[in-house]
Amino acid sequence: MNKYILTKRQVVNELSTFYSFLLGFLIALMIGSIILLIQDKNPFDTFSLMFKLSIGSVNSLSSSLNKATPLILAGLGIAIINTVKLWNIGAEGQIFMGAIAVNLIYINFQLTNSTSFIFVLLVSAFIGGAFCILIPAITKVLFGVNEIITTLLTNYIVIGLTIYLVNGPWKDPGSLNFPAAAYVGKEVYLPTIFGKLSYGFLICILFTVFAHYLKNSSVFGYEMRIAGGSEMTAIYAGINAKQKAFFAMLIGGGFAGLAGGVELLSQTHRVSTGISQGFGYTAIIVAAITGMRPIGIFLVGSLFGALSIGGSVIQTIGVSTYIADIIQASTLFGALVIQFFFNYKLKRADDG
Amino acid sequence: MVDVQFLGLLNATLQAATLLFIASLGELITEKSGILNLGVEGMISIGAVTGFMTAVNTNNIYLAIVVGIFSSSIFASLHAIVTVILKQDQTVSGLILTILGLAVSSLLGKNYVGRKLETKIDSLFNIENPSNVLEVFLSQNIIFYLAIIFTITISYILKNTMFGTRFQAVGEDAKAADSMGLNISKTQFIATCIGGAFAGLSGVFLTLSYVPYWTDNMTAGRGWIALALVIFGGWKPYRTALGALLFGFLEALVPRLQTYGFELNPYIVKITPYIITILVLVMLTIYKGGKTGAPKNIGIPFFRENR
Repeated sequence: MNKYILTKRQVVNELSTFYSFLLGFLIALMIGSIILLIQDKNPFDTFSLMFKLSIGSVNSLSSSLNKATPLILAGLGIAIINTVKLWNIGAEGQIFMGAIAVNLIYINFQLTNSTSFIFVLLVSAFIGGAFCILIPAITKVLFGVNEIITTLLTNYIVIGLTIYLVNGPWKDPGSLNFPAAAYVGKEVYLPTIFGKLSYGFLICILFTVFAHYLKNSSVFGYEMRIAGGSEMTAIYAGINAKQKAFFAMLIGGGFAGLAGGVELLSQTHRVSTGISQGFGYTAIIVAAITGMRPIGIFLVGSLFGALSIGGSVIQTIGVSTYIADIIQASTLFGALVIQFFFNYKLKRADDG
Repeated sequence: MVDVQFLGLLNATLQAATLLFIASLGELITEKSGILNLGVEGMISIGAVTGFMTAVNTNNIYLAIVVGIFSSSIFASLHAIVTVILKQDQTVSGLILTILGLAVSSLLGKNYVGRKLETKIDSLFNIENPSNVLEVFLSQNIIFYLAIIFTITISYILKNTMFGTRFQAVGEDAKAADSMGLNISKTQFIATCIGGAFAGLSGVFLTLSYVPYWTDNMTAGRGWIALALVIFGGWKPYRTALGALLFGFLEALVPRLQTYGFELNPYIVKITPYIITILVLVMLTIYKGGKTGAPKNIGIPFFRENR
């Protein structure tokens, strides 16, 4: 028989998620260094270059934060949905739907005041994301259909729809090699705060605070937590668990939709398959690794934004961009492994 | 004389279906043990690139197949370590596996993009240009026939043998299975690695026969379709095979639509399988009262509390 058995720790350190992430990141840097050494590259030089080019100047820092914005917004949405203990694997599709909604409103309506027009467009992005998760939400609360699967499948439907739109009705004849919709006008570009930093990042900060409040301090957040806990408790407390789950899903989807809208209005300026480069999937892991905490998502999301920017610029010295992806994934794996040691301990079997 | 276009469509359907089906059969085995692995896309990618690299360097196609299968299986063991031994969240770990798999395979295959293969997996009975339906079936390569054999044996084992019943008990009710004396962790660990092995086989089929070359992200979402197929098939091998044929047919049909004179939009046709899968899932959930065939313990880490 096993000499040691596994037991759950009674008390888990409050900062355990943070420490796990930090240690995971160190592990990832070591793995990254080994890969670089194998490729005859100096890891120290490479990492310091990545550091310099991602947060070393106002411009590069702005790029990093701009990159982080959709990741954080989508991650916040996932965290909100997780309050009712449901998963949203469909953030990728919701991001695209947010962008599609923006373009749909943009080409059909015109407002002379560009500030209010931008506002309307961002609201439609939010609604687009919420619309995208509508079918999974309805089927979940009415019939109990597994939301992991339905949200995952909607990704492919929405990305398929995007490909259809940019090759068909919305195809910009001016874009020859890369199928895309026409650019939106400069009047609806999200302005920049300073340098290249877009107002999108400000929206991101606001929504982080909002999500934090919603999850931890609002009545709705409290009800969501009960609804996601036990069915009996919810009934006893007079909380309509299905209703809470439904609205949590719509709000969470809306966050991801907003991510797509912000990305379109501040970065890509047009609908194409390049609206998201897997932000929706990375966002899930970012949210999960921080224990679904909005502030944590904001910090880790920012770090990953910087890593992506750093990763894309080191190509110039002949280092593969994928190093950044590998560091991200290893950080997360490392954090999961470390988290285990915070949550469990090995005990001798004969201790009772 | 049978229509040549029809034979081409049939052949393409079988190949596309084989590719999807092998990966979903592996996922089916993993999920039956109660482990959800969302990393199929990454695992296929690892198998695809390692198989291709071996084939380019050694010209030994069978060695390449074995290497692809083994490397994917070892890669899947990462998921097994994190979820089975360390009891961490399966959704998260699976997603990381996808991201890591795509990144690692792109890194490994960097110098192999655009390289030509000297050999590829040949048609088993050496039929080059099939002229009737039977010959199309006989012109497939060994992986196609393996897929058929796997379907029959796995379905038989799951339904009719003691081993199969015990295996499924782990995924249905781990606590009860544990009290019966079954080794939960070992079963789940091995099932996850087997899932990886199948994904690897699917990957080598992709780079050594279906395409055959290597470029970044060439799995193109097939791993996710494989996941959808398991649900579509209600966790049953034959129904999963049927689903794979449907998805394979649509994949084969899309580039041929115009030659048949249809005015259907190819982009819309491409998303129909996903819509059908959602409909099937919803109908299964409604009509069977929640019994979609999903293993009950799926996604829940097994932890033996207070022995």
